[in-house]
Amino acid sequence: MVDLVQNTIDGLMIGSSYGLLALGFTLIFGVMRRLNLSYGPSVMVGAYLGTLVYVQLAAGPLVVLVVTVLGSVLAGLYVERLCFAPMAAGAGVASMVSSFAIWMQLEQAAVLVLPRHTYPFPPLATADPLAFGPFYLRVDGLIMLACALALSAGVQLLLYRSRVGLALRATINNPVAAHLAGIDVRTAVVFAFALASAVGGIAGYLVLATDQQVTPMFGMWATFKGLIAMMIGGLGSIPGAILGGLVLGVVEANSQWYFGPQVRDLLAYVLLFACLVLRPGGLLGEAPSRQQDTGRRGA
Amino acid sequence: MFEVSDIVATYGKIEALKGVSLKVESGKITCLLGPNGAGKTTLMMTIAGILQPRRGAIRLDGMDLAGLSPARIVSRGVALVPENRLVFPQMSVRENLLAGAYQRRDRAGIDSDIDRMYARFPRLKERREQMAGTLSGGEQQMLAVARALMSRPRLLLMDEPSLGLAPLIVAEIFEIIAELNRDGTTIFLVEQNAHMALKVAHQFFLMEQGRITFSGTPGQLAEDEVIQRAYLGSRRAAG
Amino acid sequence: MDFYLGLIQIIGVHTLLGLSAYCVLLTGQVSLAQAGFFAVGAYVAGMLTVLAQWPLIPALAVAALVSGAVACAVGFPALRVKGLMLVVATVAFGEAVRLFFFNFTYQIQAGTLHLGPHGAEGFRQIRYFPENGWSTLDVVLFIWTVVALVMAGLWWLDHSRVGAVLRAVGEDELAAQSVGINITAVKVSAMTVGGFIAGIGGGIFAHYTTHIEHAQFGVVLATFAIAYPILGGLSNVFGTLLAAVFIQGFLIEGLRFMGDWRNLLFGGLIVLAMNVRPRGLLDAGTTRALRRLFAPGKERSGA
Repeated sequence: MVDLVQNTIDGLMIGSSYGLLALGFTLIFGVMRRLNLSYGPSVMVGAYLGTLVYVQLAAGPLVVLVVTVLGSVLAGLYVERLCFAPMAAGAGVASMVSSFAIWMQLEQAAVLVLPRHTYPFPPLATADPLAFGPFYLRVDGLIMLACALALSAGVQLLLYRSRVGLALRATINNPVAAHLAGIDVRTAVVFAFALASAVGGIAGYLVLATDQQVTPMFGMWATFKGLIAMMIGGLGSIPGAILGGLVLGVVEANSQWYFGPQVRDLLAYVLLFACLVLRPGGLLGEAPSRQQDTGRRGA
Repeated sequence: MFEVSDIVATYGKIEALKGVSLKVESGKITCLLGPNGAGKTTLMMTIAGILQPRRGAIRLDGMDLAGLSPARIVSRGVALVPENRLVFPQMSVRENLLAGAYQRRDRAGIDSDIDRMYARFPRLKERREQMAGTLSGGEQQMLAVARALMSRPRLLLMDEPSLGLAPLIVAEIFEIIAELNRDGTTIFLVEQNAHMALKVAHQFFLMEQGRITFSGTPGQLAEDEVIQRAYLGSRRAAG
Repeated sequence: MDFYLGLIQIIGVHTLLGLSAYCVLLTGQVSLAQAGFFAVGAYVAGMLTVLAQWPLIPALAVAALVSGAVACAVGFPALRVKGLMLVVATVAFGEAVRLFFFNFTYQIQAGTLHLGPHGAEGFRQIRYFPENGWSTLDVVLFIWTVVALVMAGLWWLDHSRVGAVLRAVGEDELAAQSVGINITAVKVSAMTVGGFIAGIGGGIFAHYTTHIEHAQFGVVLATFAIAYPILGGLSNVFGTLLAAVFIQGFLIEGLRFMGDWRNLLFGGLIVLAMNVRPRGLLDAGTTRALRRLFAPGKERSGA
């Protein structure tokens, strides 16, 4: 029982970073209705730039954070420009395949800049875990959880209380109608990519600072965790993204404890497949019928 | 005055508009009739900037609109109420209206315009916090009209406003069209319902296979003939 | 010389993989599960020749049937989701298969050797070809015979009523349904045939590499599988072949001299190709033009 609770606590903390990755994913998916496989790798490019200034210039944590976020945003916009902006309506699969190709490109670029397999990343917090009876709370985990909640609330506010948020939601609802209402859809899309990459960059920073190291596998890892959490939580829903991340984190932490790391990953995919098939809209998603028009059509 | 001259537009490889020219007088209701596939919706989408013309000019009071982005065209004073309404289903009625005023920056003016829309369309006021997707077809049409009016257009384009609505609602929509016109809005309307359209229009055009084949005032052509050509096209009507 | 023969083997197997995605894609389903079916075929065929000492052809046949059955079983639940949701559901399935083999151990003792799949270490010593004295050239010929047979089969299917039905479902499901096509049957059949072909490809792959492990069957391979027909175009099976030659032969091997910079260019070229030809290298227009070139006057109207 103690184990279960402790695992759940740990799971919630790591799950909050999954939730942030899912939040970025859901923003991009919302406006494009397309899958961006390069989402994780573009966050990785940011993280590698952050590592570079840390290793080469001994930059402080704040500078590393800023560089990571800016790098992620630039890489995200690069992906948008190449894989999404030029693709005609209905060429969703072409975008996906292109974003996969760019994934390989970004990964290679990162490895060219920093060729060793692992590099150190500045720690988030070095304080000892806080003890509550038999349970321990890691300080960096708490920071991660707090950041996730604050950021998702911030994004929610931005979407529902600002002019640019209105433009984004209108574009998500119906791009043609958004054009007709006088909204600059192109700007809205670029903004969505930038915002998503910034959120992803912060998530990436938090995860890597907790692990205190970065490897070239991070891009793929981030894409998958974000994708799974988004799908479990439900497309197009910000609370859903965070909830999906937390659920995934808790399931992973417990299955790792009881069955080991391989079964943990297996279970995550089985959970995802079951979620998709049994409840295609996700836990808090919109009605599934609206995602169903994203099929091939002219691929 | 609004003027379209020699517009050519292609839809994929099909030439949907083959040199369309027409004039819309300020302060009047002008109606475009024609059978399905004549290119009416393509023309509306081209004027609104969603589709780019291959050739030709689109002018509103002398300003050239061809090639501008849809947002620019809205800010120049042209708003389209699209076919099938296309409201933002997961935004509230109020937010739909706010989105319609996206090009405007005058907060106070927008608020007072929203109140004016509520006065003109009381049912929208009742449902102002409701998601637009939950409204009935007629209410969505009214919302689409109100959203377009929020940009304070000098020219209001309407594509098939009566499509899929019950006869009673259609009558209501046309009453609103006449009313808007009396308040000074220039209206250019595409309609399948020739009978209703001819009742409100000051002027009309017939379009067949991407070309304007007739222009005149209601009464200049027997209503039977207009209706026949509007639904079937002249070749089949003649044969 | 061996290098080129090796490359031709790779292209052949990847063509099979691409063809398996091709027939699923015809029905409008974007499946990233093909690498999973490929893995099932590889492990089943390998276990049959190594552990049960079966000859190759029956082992491949059984591997193909098992993969087809798995694909059929996946096809039913996957029907509930479309578009992007299907992409993700099939990724989930593919990764689950990969992780299954990551944990799968079934070994027997043969003299001093332990044979069979061994979890993370993979499945070594699939030595059917060397043990039976096949030269590399024999293997190449065998692979391409299979490729030719599968392509001929799909070509025939494409030009029969079945092909028309598959494409009808891919173009517009609602319209297809309204003319009485059973969508469920069509989609599940396409998925099954796709799994069958991927199973053959996987079985051959296991035997020419002699060593397989879970990491080879990840999402990267799955994306390659779908990239071939998309890059090649859906107008006919030769597009997929062309794309496999282009990607494996030119982009991967041909650019190897560029070392670390290869992947940078690789990404750029794929994006360029998708931008210039969003409907694939061999789209309906090109095919028509080629046909006119080779058989003037014979072109069917409306083809």
